[in-house]
This record gives sequence, structure tokens and C-alpha cells, in this order.
Amino acid sequence: MPATDYQGSSTPFASIGRSILSLRRDQLHPMDGHDGGTSQEQELEAFQRHVADLFLELSSSAAGGEDLLSLSWVRKLLDTFLICQEEFRVILFDSKGILSRAPLDRLISDFFERGVKALDVCNAIRDGIDQIRQWKKHLEIVLVALHPSHRTLGEGQLRRARKALTDLTILMLDEKEAGSVLNHRNRSFGRGSHGKDTNHHQGRHFRSLSWSVSRSWSAARQLQAINNNLSAPRGNEIAATNGLAVPVFTMSSVLLFVMWALVAAIPCQDRGLGTHFSAPRSFPWAAPVLSLHERIVEESKKKDRKNSNGLLKEIHQIERCTRQLAELMDSVQFPLTEEKEAEVRRGVQELAEVCDALKEGLDPLERQVRDVFHRIVRSRTEGLDSISRSNNPE
Amino acid sequence: MASENGEDKLLAAVRHIAKTLGRTETMADDILQIFSTFDGRLSREKLSEKQHDDGSLGDGGGGAVAAGDDRLSLSSMNRTLRYLDHQISRFVALDRLIWSDSADASAFLEAVDDLLDTIHDLDPPAPGNKPLLDRADDLLQKCMLRLEDEFRSLIERSDGGSPLDAPAAGSSPFDSDGENSDGDDVQVPVAHPVKDYDLIIDALAPGTVSDLHEIARRMVAAGFGRECAEVYALAHRDFVEESVARLGIRHRTAEEVQGTPWADLEDEIARWLKALNMVFRILIPSERRLCDRIFTGLSPFADLAFAAVSRASAIQLLFFADAVAIGNRAPERLFRVVDMYEAVRDLFPDLDPLFSDQYSTFLRTEAATVSKSLAAAIRGIFMELENLIRRDPARAAVPGGGLHPITRYVMNYLRAACASRRTLEEVMEEDTGTASPPDPDRPSSSLAVQIAWIMDVLQGNLEVKSKIYREPSLSCIFLMNNGRYIIQKVRDSELNVLLGEEWIRRQMARVRRWGNEYQRATWSKVIAVLRTDGATGSAKAMRERLRVFNAYFDEIYRAQTGWVVADEQLKAELRISVSELVLPAYRNFLGRYRNAADSGKHAEKHTRYSEEDVEARIGELFEGTGKRS
Repeated sequence: MPATDYQGSSTPFASIGRSILSLRRDQLHPMDGHDGGTSQEQELEAFQRHVADLFLELSSSAAGGEDLLSLSWVRKLLDTFLICQEEFRVILFDSKGILSRAPLDRLISDFFERGVKALDVCNAIRDGIDQIRQWKKHLEIVLVALHPSHRTLGEGQLRRARKALTDLTILMLDEKEAGSVLNHRNRSFGRGSHGKDTNHHQGRHFRSLSWSVSRSWSAARQLQAINNNLSAPRGNEIAATNGLAVPVFTMSSVLLFVMWALVAAIPCQDRGLGTHFSAPRSFPWAAPVLSLHERIVEESKKKDRKNSNGLLKEIHQIERCTRQLAELMDSVQFPLTEEKEAEVRRGVQELAEVCDALKEGLDPLERQVRDVFHRIVRSRTEGLDSISRSNNPE
Repeated sequence: MASENGEDKLLAAVRHIAKTLGRTETMADDILQIFSTFDGRLSREKLSEKQHDDGSLGDGGGGAVAAGDDRLSLSSMNRTLRYLDHQISRFVALDRLIWSDSADASAFLEAVDDLLDTIHDLDPPAPGNKPLLDRADDLLQKCMLRLEDEFRSLIERSDGGSPLDAPAAGSSPFDSDGENSDGDDVQVPVAHPVKDYDLIIDALAPGTVSDLHEIARRMVAAGFGRECAEVYALAHRDFVEESVARLGIRHRTAEEVQGTPWADLEDEIARWLKALNMVFRILIPSERRLCDRIFTGLSPFADLAFAAVSRASAIQLLFFADAVAIGNRAPERLFRVVDMYEAVRDLFPDLDPLFSDQYSTFLRTEAATVSKSLAAAIRGIFMELENLIRRDPARAAVPGGGLHPITRYVMNYLRAACASRRTLEEVMEEDTGTASPPDPDRPSSSLAVQIAWIMDVLQGNLEVKSKIYREPSLSCIFLMNNGRYIIQKVRDSELNVLLGEEWIRRQMARVRRWGNEYQRATWSKVIAVLRTDGATGSAKAMRERLRVFNAYFDEIYRAQTGWVVADEQLKAELRISVSELVLPAYRNFLGRYRNAADSGKHAEKHTRYSEEDVEARIGELFEGTGKRS
């Protein structure tokens, strides 16, 4: 099932959804549901196992070829979310008759509330992706300035590249002190003194990003809010909900974890990874999710990552490359020795690779985030429809 | 030696004069030419040669072995560069904006052009000119830094300036309410009248725009296009975002929108509707035009700059609609959500040319998605309306069987909704996925089906409610009242077109049926008393029948004068049909009764109501005045 085919698809997705759903139901109830109870149990069980498999896969891919928190890994994470969400949607659809019964109604409405909160995280993440795109523009300037087609690396080119690196460093720094920078918002336009030194723009012009969330919004608080009152269902709850309390808890946990990991990876306003995350080990997916959680927390505690804008591997690479290049440039004397020139070329090559990764990965990632947004909205809309319909047995 | 030394000094002096007087390479050349014809010692060769040997960059050996021509051109290049360096350094060191003096500005641009030409001439590199190229590159870098600063300052200087000042007196229709504009900072874009979106905001004065274009042209030519687009975006984005903020639009999260009371949200939506049009029809198109002018002929930098400047504001505005769309589906929200849907939909034709390039085309997709969400919200609201009607409890009966508030609410609601009939058609068809555009006057359209369904639900709910009356007759009156009201509201509105004549005929038949039921329930026993089947009973039996009739009629009169039939025509029809049923029977009965009675006098004593009395009393039914049963 393609998980990211939403964009550009012209078929109204409601109808796609329906056909997928009916297809699924036919497969699940080939004999027209004479054994409805057990087949639903099987469906719920299969969901648990599948979520566990998907996260195991994520966990092992991060251990194997793919790096944890690399762009491609984050995209895989979102694919995982979309698949879980789709299966969960089928489960809700198959149980629509009982969604409005207590205590399931409360669990479902809590889940939808969490979804609304996650929408704001999605938006913040989109801004963050755009911010990385801004950084990329400066990297591209460096690459243009130091392009291998230049026969020699002259002082002018190095200076141009150095300036782009400085601008980039300021951009990346500024976001950490977003508050102080944003205070410049209300300065009177264009009345600042015209400086003559080349550094006069420091801290004045460099608000790299226009957040589309409000200024006081905090990703950390939002994650906290998603996590609020999220606890594993008790035995009587499971019994009273035909077992549906379990997938609701599972999907809520997946939502929380995925949003948390996005906030960990991508720059956004007031990141904070302190959200306590727990799930009883008895859930088959708990072990891989908790292990990923732990590994990401560890990553965030590493010395060179502590002050990062985001744990995305590519951001780390940008930071490392730009720092090395900048140091190198500051140390060189003209004319360049062959050795130094080769060193610069190597740095540029590395930077070019990061840039390519960003070029390939950022747009699809943004589409996926948007897709996650719409899947959450759609699942919520459908859920509300089912609930209001089941309130009115005809 | 002395003369040689003196000649050196002379040559140096001549070179210095040429360099100082000549602002350009050719001018300097011309001056040297003049000197060379003036005095044999000042030959071009000597002047050039000497200059080259003096050149700080000259790698003596290489220059000496180079072919004469190369040496000549290299030395001329070198001379030019030195001259340009001198020129440019003077400008770069200026402690004020170069563009504060137009002569300085054009001199600087000319120097940059010469530098670019020189670099062009040095490419492809000939042996020995690498140091020259490096020096030229270095110089170019200095120019670009300075141009970038000048570019930024030109924008910032203008952003606070006059072009945006409100052209007319009076408060702007788009003034944000929270914001107090302080004195010289007033630059709220104003459109008079509001519907006129052909307005273009000139955020920058034409002179500034052409200055910026001149700078951009050089920066792009030097390969600094990205820097230029970037500095444009950084310097101008605040202006765009500030303009949006001044329209009263704040950043809102989905959660905030969810938590906002509807009354407040309605105000926000009203502001948003105006802002949406202002931003997408005036502000952003103006930005597009501005970018196209500054970066004219310099694509893709116009697109790059435009996308960077407008992205955030566009997304911010569209997201608000997303947030409203996922909100509560209370029926009263329909009208505002329809407004929002229409506003976004109506933007599409304008968005296509606006966001046609690769950097901003996603905004079109975004807008299309938002309109889909709003459409889904509208359908959700209809579903909710249906649920509310179905669930509306039959608590207390409306006194006298009159019009129920829910009937009034639903009918007026649907009538109001039908003001946006075409939009609703579109929204409903979208759900069914009909490929062909709907025929809006076809009663079988999705909207028509939806409305007919809601009418059925309403009818069902009213029938449940009619059961709480103890008398079946009153139930009928209740259903007739509400049924009649529904017909009237359908008839004099667009609902008529949607539901069609056939539906109205069926509804009327229903009302007639309830009328018949009413007659049966109320009057059949009365008629039965009066009916003697031709046989004349005993006087006593006749008297007994009359007594029963009087009792029935009294009771009906007492009860049903308190009942209500609001519609005058229906009331008249009801009374006539009752009269037509009762009066002939009564007249007939009275005739037979008088015959049977021994004495007329005696008969009159028991005849409480004359025929005329009965008719008059029937005429008082359903006035809602009498005592209630």
C-alpha cells in the first residue's frame, strides 16, 4: 500500500478509503462475518504484531545501513506512522457501531484530541523543514563560491564562502535564541543605521524563518499535552470496549512517539525531549519503541549534539562541515598551499553530499508531514461521522 | 643615471595623472595616448612596460618570457585592475550609502561593470594571469558585499516610507482592532471600495525598484544571484508579515482555534475573509510584481525571492481555514464555513498565475487541499444537523398543537443555507465523486437528496413529538400546522427548486390526510349521534341524542378554541370542511327532531344551538383563545 500517494492524487480520497475499507472487510469476513467476534480479535492481534514488526524494522534499519535520525530514517518513521494510522482506521471503521459506547467514547475522543495537538506539531515541523531549506541556500552559496570548476581557490572566493558560512552559523545560532531575535520584529523598518562594516547585519536581519505557529507555542509543552493521561488500559477497560482500548492506546503511543521523534530531529520552536514515555513491556511494540526512544535520548545527550537545533543526522553534518571549513579558511594563508587547497576541496565535497541529501530528502519529507497531517484530520473526521451515525440507529 | 631617474619619475607622474583623471580604462588609455604624442619620452611602450614592471603582481621571469602581445594585454589588464581597485576601494570605504548620491551610484555600477568585463576577458585563463584573476575575484567579492548592503538598505529605507500610506481619509476597513498604529507608522493597505482588488501596492518607490534592479543585475551577472534573492527575502519579508498582521490576523494553532468560543471565532473568520482577499489578491500579487520587476530578466531569482517572501504568510492564512475545518460541526457554523470555502475557491483562478513557478506551486496544492477540508466540514455540518433534528427530544408539547420551534429553526436554516445553493451543490457532488458537473436545477442532485433526507428526518421527529398529545385530533392539528409551515417555506425559497413540485404535492397530500384524520377523530362520533339512518326514533331517544350532541359540541368547542392553527388559510379550510360535515347533518337532525317532538316549544327548550350558533362556534375554533383541555 503506497503510504504517500496522497499528494497530487485527484481521486477523492474518501472514496479510495471506502474501497480499501470494504476490500479489507471482505478479506476479514469472507463468510459474511459469522465468526465476527474471533475475526475481530484476530484483527486486533494482527495490528499489535504489525506495529511491533514495523518498529522492529525501524530499529534494526537504524542499527544497520541506515543511520538513526537520518533524513531517510525519519521518512521511514513517517511511513510507519501512516501505515499504522491506516490500519487503525480500518479497525475503527469495523467497530463503528460501538464507538459511542462508554468507556470507548472517552478513549476515542481523547485520541482525537491528541490528534489535534499533533496537527500543531506537524505545522511546526513543516516550518522546521523550511528552515533547513534556508540553511541549504547558504550551503549552496558556499558550493557555488568554491565550485570545483574554479581552477584555483582565490581569496575572493574563499571570502565569499566564508561569509556564507558566517551567515549560516548566525542563522543556526539564532533559532536557539529565537525569543531574543524575535524581539526585533517590532523594530521600525529600515531606520536602522547603515553600518559600513560587513558584520553590521549580525543579529539584525537574520531571522531566517517565519514561524507559522504562534510565538509562544512550545513543542515541548505540546508533546507534554499529547502525553497527558496517556496510560495503558486496565483489564476492565479492555473488556468493556471489546478489546478496542488496546489499539487506541497503541495508536496514541505511536502518535506520541512519532511526534516526539520529529521534534527531536527537526528544528522547531522550544524543542524539549523531556517528555516521559512509557508503555508496559507486555505490548509487543513496546520494546522496539522504547529502545528507539532511549537511543534518541542518548543521541541528544552527546556532547556535540547537546546544543543542536535538531538531531537530524544531516544537521549534524552541516554543523560539522561548516565548522571545519570555517576553521580551515580562517587558518589559511595566501597563496594556498596545495595541501590546504586539497583540504578545502575535501570539505566542499562533504558539504556537497549533505546538500544533495537535503535536496533529495526535504521535499518528500515535507509532503509526508503534510500527509500525516491530513491522515490525522481524515481519521478524526471519519471517526466523528461514525460516532454521530451510531448515535442514531436507524 | 640622473636623467634615467628623472625619466622614471616623469613616467610615474604621467601614469598617475592618467589614472587620476581617467575614470575608466578607455579614458585612461586616451589620456596616455595624448601624452605619448606630446612627448617622445612618453611612448605607449614605455608607459606600459614600466607599469608592468612596477606591478606588484608581476612575476618578473614569467612576464619577461611571455610573448609581447600577452605581456602587453596582461599589463593593460593589470593597469585596469589597479585603476578599478582604486575606484572601488574609494566607494567601498564610503561611510554613507553609495546610493544616497546617484552620481556615485552610477559610477560604482560602471566600475563593477568594468570589473566584470575584465574578469570576462581574463577567462579562459592565459598563462600568467592567475594572480590577476585572483585579484579581480577578490575585488569582485568586495563589490558584491557592498552591493548586498546597499540593496538591503534601499529596501529597508523604503519599507518605512510613503508608498503604502493610506490614500484616503477615514479608517481602513481592514484595520486590525488590537493594534494601535502610532503616528508615522501608519501604512495599512487600504482598498476603497473593498471589492476592488485591482489594486497594486507599490511597497517600493519606482526609483528604488530600478536601483534595486540595477544592483540585482550585477549580482546575478557576478554569480551572486542566490545572495541577492536571499537578502531581498530577508529584508522584505518583515514587510509582508507585518502587512498581514495589520489585517488583524494572528498566528493560531489548531488547538487554539478549537478552544475559541464560536462568537469570537466568527469575528476572526470575518477578519480572515477580508485578509485572505487582501493578501492573495493585492499583497502577494504586488509582491510578485515587485519581484518580477527587481529581478526582471533574471529568473529564476524572481521566483526564488517571491517564494521566500510570501510562503509563510500564505501558509499561515490557509492553515487557519484548516483549523476551522476540523472544528466543531454545530449547524450555526455552516454559514461562515461556506463563506470560507467560497473565498478559497474563488481564489483559484488568481492563484494559478501567481504560484506557477516551481518554488511556489505547492501553495496551489495547499489551497486546493484547504478547500477540500472546508467542503468536508460543510458536509459534516449537514450530518450534524440531521443528528440534532433526530435527537431533539419530545419534551413538552407546544400548547394548542401549534408550530414547533424545531420546524421553524430547520426551515429557516435550510432557506438561509439555500442562499448558497450552488456552492452546496458543488460541495455535495464532490463527496459522491460525480464526474460531470451537476445540473443544479435537477431535483435529484446530491444536495436535493440531502435536503429531502433532512426533511424526512424532521418529519419523523415531528411525528414522534405529535405522540405526546393525549388527543389524536390535536396530534393531527400539530402535524398539519408544522406540515403547512414546511410547505410554505419550501414554496417561497430555493428549496422549491431543490425539492421539486412532486415533493410539494406529496407533502400537501400528507397535510390533507392529517385533516381527514382530524375530522374522523373529532367529528365522526358527533356525526354518528346525529345520524338516524332515516328511521325516526322516539322523541325521547331524539332528545337523548341531542343532549349527547350538545355535550360533545360543548366539549369540542371548549377544547378546540384553545387549539392553534396559525395559518389563516388552513384555518379557514378546516372550519369550512368541519362546517360542511357537521351543518347538513345537524340541520337534518334538527328537522327530524322537531317533527318527532310533540310540541315545537318543548323541542326548542332542548335545542341549545341553532344551526347558526353551531356555524358561529365552528368559526371560533383554532383561535388559541379558549380554555385549554
